Amino acid sequence: MYAQTTQLIQREQVGPGYHLLEFDCPQVAAAAQPGQFVHIRVTGDWDPLLRRPFSVMGTNEAEGSFQVLMRTVGRGTQMLAEAQSGTKFDIMGPLGNGFALPGPEGEVVLVAGGIGVAPLIFLATALREPGGSRYIRGLFGARSADDLCCWLEFSGVCDEFNAITEDGSTGEQGLVTDFLPPQLKRGTGCVYACGPALMLAEVARQCEGAEVPCYVSMEQRMGCGVGACLGCVIPTQADGTQRYQRVCKDGPIFDAEVVDWEAIHRGCTPG
Amino acid sequence: MAAPQVDLSVELAGLSLVNPVLVASGTFGYGTEYGELVDVGRLGGICTKAVTLQPRAGNPPPRICETPAGMLNAIGLQNPGVEVFIGEKMPALREFGVPIIVNVAGESVADYVSLAERLSDCADIAALELNLSCPNVKRGGMQFGIDGELTERVVAAVREATELPLIAKLSPNVTDIASIGEAARDGGADALSLINTLLAMSIDIDRRQPMLANVTGALSGPAIRPVAVRMVWEVAQAVDLPIIGMGGITSAADALQFIMAGATAVAVGTANFVEPGISGRIIDDLEDFCQQAGVACAADLIGAAHGSSDVEGLQ
Ligand SMILES: Cc1cc2nc3c(=O)[nH]c(=O)nc-3n(C[C@H](O)[C@H](O)[C@H](O)COP(=O)(O)OP(=O)(O)OC[C@H]3O[C@@H](n4cnc5c(N)ncnc54)[C@H](O)[C@@H]3O)c2cc1C
Ligand SMILES: Cc1cc2nc3c(=O)[nH]c(=O)nc-3n(C[C@H](O)[C@H](O)[C@H](O)COP(=O)(O)O)c2cc1C
Ligand code: FES
Repeated sequence: MYAQTTQLIQREQVGPGYHLLEFDCPQVAAAAQPGQFVHIRVTGDWDPLLRRPFSVMGTNEAEGSFQVLMRTVGRGTQMLAEAQSGTKFDIMGPLGNGFALPGPEGEVVLVAGGIGVAPLIFLATALREPGGSRYIRGLFGARSADDLCCWLEFSGVCDEFNAITEDGSTGEQGLVTDFLPPQLKRGTGCVYACGPALMLAEVARQCEGAEVPCYVSMEQRMGCGVGACLGCVIPTQADGTQRYQRVCKDGPIFDAEVVDWEAIHRGCTPG
Repeated sequence: MAAPQVDLSVELAGLSLVNPVLVASGTFGYGTEYGELVDVGRLGGICTKAVTLQPRAGNPPPRICETPAGMLNAIGLQNPGVEVFIGEKMPALREFGVPIIVNVAGESVADYVSLAERLSDCADIAALELNLSCPNVKRGGMQFGIDGELTERVVAAVREATELPLIAKLSPNVTDIASIGEAARDGGADALSLINTLLAMSIDIDRRQPMLANVTGALSGPAIRPVAVRMVWEVAQAVDLPIIGMGGITSAADALQFIMAGATAVAVGTANFVEPGISGRIIDDLEDFCQQAGVACAADLIGAAHGSSDVEGLQ
């Protein structure tokens, strides 16, 4: 884990409200594992106060840089979206647990919803590295074609790829979860998912029914990012006991079986 | 010519602190969370996350949200309970070699007494900080700190139960904080800690619902600093006890405001989340400030802003 000043070396708009940011940070580039995140201070001042968490989408160890795919939603992301290359940012990372690698058997299905594609691109890239002969199928769902951000990057690291949009503007029409059941019947060894909480809940439900292991990347508003403030919890249950676990430290990747999806449905999401 | 050495040490409730910069309860976990990033051994001391007799699950999420130059939290005193604290958290805390101030919270006077008794048997605890001021729990918590009589009663009962130095942590959610400070003194407190968070609320207008699942929350960060400085000033004037000042500290300049208002030490809270190494930076900058101002002992600055006004008990 590092905390240091880094430079934004490139910012590219890759869709309406979507930006690909590249930071110069050899330490994070060398240490980050798929599923981990960085905690970025968007200003040198004290307002906006808190750091913003973003998944690492990829690393370039040779260049000593890493990338973040960002959707503009509020004040902090707006500031990042307007930053000039060369701007310095204070970054903590890599943080969190990262994805557990799949067991030796079966194909891997990656289910991405919107901006949730970012950590799955990193995961697929890692699974394809020399020695990784894993067959990867990617399902990428979004509202419309505009929101299928970085789909070329994603399809490029998948052996099979399906785009799904709610309005049918590209690919199949529907919800990404409508297209998961047939995949689960095909000897899938493991499912990884990242996207809106309700999408993850549905992926988890289907995987449980099909008895396929499933890992999800969860979000929550964060304070410290290192496990100290207990601000970022989600409800979990294991062995009959319910408790709150920290997204920043115990996650952001959780075994879908331990997440208390009923409580998530009741609204325990960052918003 | 080498710059003259500055003495940053202060005495507080019988504790000798190498410098006046502590980290505030609930903002530094149990120390280890920051061990990789922060030279914890440099701190004047650590106030731990509140510990209760039994484990507490805490409040449902969302538990925090950002506000202008501040944040709300409603953690709800999530902690593993005093036995796990002693068995699993104290061993690592001890290793840092700095004074460990254990923040305790109860739902009744008896809870505080039992906690004090249990913690008195544990080696290497420097002091207890009685959290009489948590606004995020239904029972206990702030209810003690907003009532002078209850404050005096709980402090007096704990005083009977332990030899450890007692620091009463005061709530700002009162009209007259000086009178609560007096009540804590009358109960036998050795020092006062202030301020805890301000009871507050924020609404998500898109969802038309409160930002926090707990509805209300606790405001901290730079937004509360002027309120905190004012309260330290008032308590310093009224009560003859050393004060740990806190509320929105982000720099040595902020810390000096508290010290000059009458605080013997300061605690850095929410700012740890934003800049983990901030306490070390504040220690360095305090030293620089003293050097440049020709102040040999930082303790000489305690209460400095009161001038010749009537300040009691500032060391
Ligand atoms: C582990 C993790 C990984 C993430 N990865 C990405 C990513 O790769 N790309 C991306 O675009 N976004 C990602 N997010 C969401 C991103 O952190 C938020 O969109 C961002 O913090 C919003 O900041 P803002 O100032 O623009 O919004 P505001 O709404 O103004 O923010 C106000 C506060 O709420 C918090 N907040 C708001 N929305 C979220 C959210 N969805 N999750 C957590 N905190 C939130 C902010 O951090 C801030 O503290 C991730 C979140 C988490 C927890
Ligand atoms: C997330 C969070 C958790 C806290 N938990 C506790 C606690 O357990 N006990 C306590 O006495 N104060 C607790 N506090 C209050 C702080 O110790 C401090 O009094 C307050 O935040 C003001 O300082 P600040 O503005 O620098 O954060 C907590 C504050 C925050 C932000
Ligand atoms: S953000 Fe502080 S514990 Fe997770």
